[in-house]
Amino acid sequence: MEPIIEIKNITKEFKVLNRREGLKGSIRDLFSRDYKIVRAVDNISMSIEQGEIVGYLGPNGAGKSTTIKMMTGVLEPSSGEILVSGNVPYRNRTKNAQEIGVVFGQRTQLWWALPLIESFRILKDIYQIPDADYDEMLKLYQSLVDIEPLLHKPVRQMSLGQRTLSDILAAFLHNPKIVFLDEPTIGLDVSMKAKIRTLIHALNQQKHTTVILTTHDMGDVDALCQRIVIIDKGKMLYDNDISHLKQFFGSYRTLKVRIKGDLKQYADEITEKLPQCSVSADDEWISILVDESKTTVMQVLGELQHHYKIRDMQLEEISTEEVIKKIYEEGVK
Amino acid sequence: MKRKGLRFYLRIYLKILAQDIKSKMSYRADFIISTIGMICTNIAGFISFWILFSRFPSINGWGYYESLFLYGFSLVSLTPVQCLFDNNWNLRQNVYSGDFIKYCLRPINLFFYYQSEVFDIKGLGQFVFGLVTLIYAWVKLGLGFSVLMLLKMIVFLLTASLIMIALQNAAAATCFWIQNSFYVLDFVMKFKDYAKYPITIFSPVFRFLFTFIMPVAFIAYYPSLVILRPDAVPVLSWISPLIGIGFFWLSYKFWMHGALKYSGTGS
Amino acid sequence: MKLKKYMTLTRAGIIEALQFRMSFLIMCAGNLLYLIVTYFLWKAIYASVDTDVVNGMTFTDTLIYLVLATALYGFMEMYLVWDIGRNIQSGKIVLDLLKPMPYRRYLFWSYTGSFVTQFFLTFLPTFIIVAFWTHGAIPLGINLVWFAVSVVFAVMINFSIDFIVGTICLYTESIWGINIMKQVVVLLLSGATVPLAFFPDKLRTIVNFLPFQSIYNAPLSLLLNAHPTAETVCTTLGIQLFWAAAMTLISVAFWNRSVRQITVNGG
Repeated sequence: MEPIIEIKNITKEFKVLNRREGLKGSIRDLFSRDYKIVRAVDNISMSIEQGEIVGYLGPNGAGKSTTIKMMTGVLEPSSGEILVSGNVPYRNRTKNAQEIGVVFGQRTQLWWALPLIESFRILKDIYQIPDADYDEMLKLYQSLVDIEPLLHKPVRQMSLGQRTLSDILAAFLHNPKIVFLDEPTIGLDVSMKAKIRTLIHALNQQKHTTVILTTHDMGDVDALCQRIVIIDKGKMLYDNDISHLKQFFGSYRTLKVRIKGDLKQYADEITEKLPQCSVSADDEWISILVDESKTTVMQVLGELQHHYKIRDMQLEEISTEEVIKKIYEEGVK
Repeated sequence: MKRKGLRFYLRIYLKILAQDIKSKMSYRADFIISTIGMICTNIAGFISFWILFSRFPSINGWGYYESLFLYGFSLVSLTPVQCLFDNNWNLRQNVYSGDFIKYCLRPINLFFYYQSEVFDIKGLGQFVFGLVTLIYAWVKLGLGFSVLMLLKMIVFLLTASLIMIALQNAAAATCFWIQNSFYVLDFVMKFKDYAKYPITIFSPVFRFLFTFIMPVAFIAYYPSLVILRPDAVPVLSWISPLIGIGFFWLSYKFWMHGALKYSGTGS
Repeated sequence: MKLKKYMTLTRAGIIEALQFRMSFLIMCAGNLLYLIVTYFLWKAIYASVDTDVVNGMTFTDTLIYLVLATALYGFMEMYLVWDIGRNIQSGKIVLDLLKPMPYRRYLFWSYTGSFVTQFFLTFLPTFIIVAFWTHGAIPLGINLVWFAVSVVFAVMINFSIDFIVGTICLYTESIWGINIMKQVVVLLLSGATVPLAFFPDKLRTIVNFLPFQSIYNAPLSLLLNAHPTAETVCTTLGIQLFWAAAMTLISVAFWNRSVRQITVNGG
């Protein structure tokens, strides 16, 4: 099968102004300016098949958004080639736009003052969606989420979660071949995150839409992606199956507990009791890194409760930053 | 994919426009206050005009009613830029915050999509004010009336509008290159205040400047000569419709060039 | 030292203002253009009457008056209403209210930075150019001192008016409408667009009882008067002092009352 997205050795460079500091610097900036070249994306290649959900990960400023902008035709690569559904996005921007849907987690593309249904109607016209397809899509939406209360609510009155949900529905409305989701779950609570993940998964299954997902949230990746691409400082670090990466991070979680008394001393005690975990303590928390392939967090918690009075606890997933650190350290290939 | 002809764009335009008016109506107090503000601006402009002419009988051979005609003409011809292209004023913020990207992602003409989003109703107040002034001056000057004159009037009003729209587009588009382009836009929009004076008051150098470099004289002076001084219409007045279309096209190209070059705000 | 915390704000304002090189150049170009238009317009106006002196103003007087009024406007206009309005709408006002000084004072000192920059970058150059250009038509004597004192009062009055109008933004979302009304009223009634000397007598009598003429007309008439009587100076400055005090008191009272009301009602 032909890949739907084909990227070959793309690079994007930006010219950035070096601002000088302080009052003197500002006056000097008036007369002379000094620029530096920043390489936001550095020689990236990948090819994505129709129907895949690809997690596109990396820390802030890694070049994720820049890559997405190049795939959507907003930015022209400095060098290299991109084909999206047979189009060169930058050269055929409007044609490409017909084939894709885009959601930026924190900025809505809907009409701010209008009820959602009005936005849908305008989009229907803009994308020239046939009546039958449009009705079918709305029916599908109704079967997946409870959209009735959303349809008649102006976007500006929606909660962030409702707005994100609406934006995702709007992006899928014209049944695009590819949907780009940029941080779709950022700032949402746990139940809303779950709802949105279920929706994306269902739409991907039903419509066989290719989904490119950038995120900071490993939960998103776990729930949705078969494949992961990681970039950092513009360079590709990893492009493979998620199961392959799981052995490096998936089984680790950090349990943090607070116990009254001398934490350092307790930490030493716990290390003796739980030899398979690594334990550390700071002024507030005792952190226990649990390898879930050997034991479970619940078991560890039970063990602790047996001995101590736990005043507070937290559970942390391993973050993208930690995964990248681990990849650097252990060198996945 | 279906071809996107004029009818397609017109339909979308009306749809988006209707929605914008609907949503404006949901902020009724804002609408009323803005309209009053607009009327105040026009009245104040008229008062300074009146004060001037209460002390001085004419300016450079242009009497009170002739000047009033120019003034009304400029107000009417400025209505389209006020009503239909007002979103240019938000361009800088949209680019700066990165929100502009949402306009780049739709399968329709970017410039069209962007401008269609806002319809500024309060511009209609200015239109009415200008029209009344224009008709009043027309009657007082005893210009007479014929269908041909009306047609000429409409063509030349549209010409003037196109020039102003072109100026505003070009000024707004500078935000794709420079920070704080508000000053450029503000600078250019002040041209409209100068448009109401006859170009003949300036020295030859500035007459040239205001005709060919900053086409202020085309906003009211040259087009209105066709009606006001029909025996001595310069060639520039007759070709002003072509100039209007030319300027508009250039400004559109410039705007689009900037928008496509636009690279978001980094990450 | 107490003054130091205010000076920090001033310094930050200066740095911020200098960041925008382009906007500075464009602002200069805009002022220059305005100067040119004003020059030719009034030359044409004076050419249409037989006398050199109209209402006690010669052509040179009028030109100096209008040019310096623009220069004054350039450094007094600071988009305060917009800033307050946006802060209210975005909710950022809450953070500003938590600053360890009264909001009004905080704003005033933040703006002093741009006052200082604008004074040196626009007003002073304009003043020097005009002084040379008109071959010493600006009297250079004790009147400069009166002018300087008068400008300080003018800044205070203008700031208070802006602050009062900004406070109105607590009650309405229509910043544009509110701001344009203020701008139009202030510019017209302060004599910034047409010198008060040309106003019809009745209108001038009314305007003399309003605070606006203290902003532009008062300092400029003190500047242009080479040998003012002690009485003129005292009355002009006295009236300004009165308005500065009155407007300050009103703006503070209005703000405190409004904020209390908003916090009680939970905004």
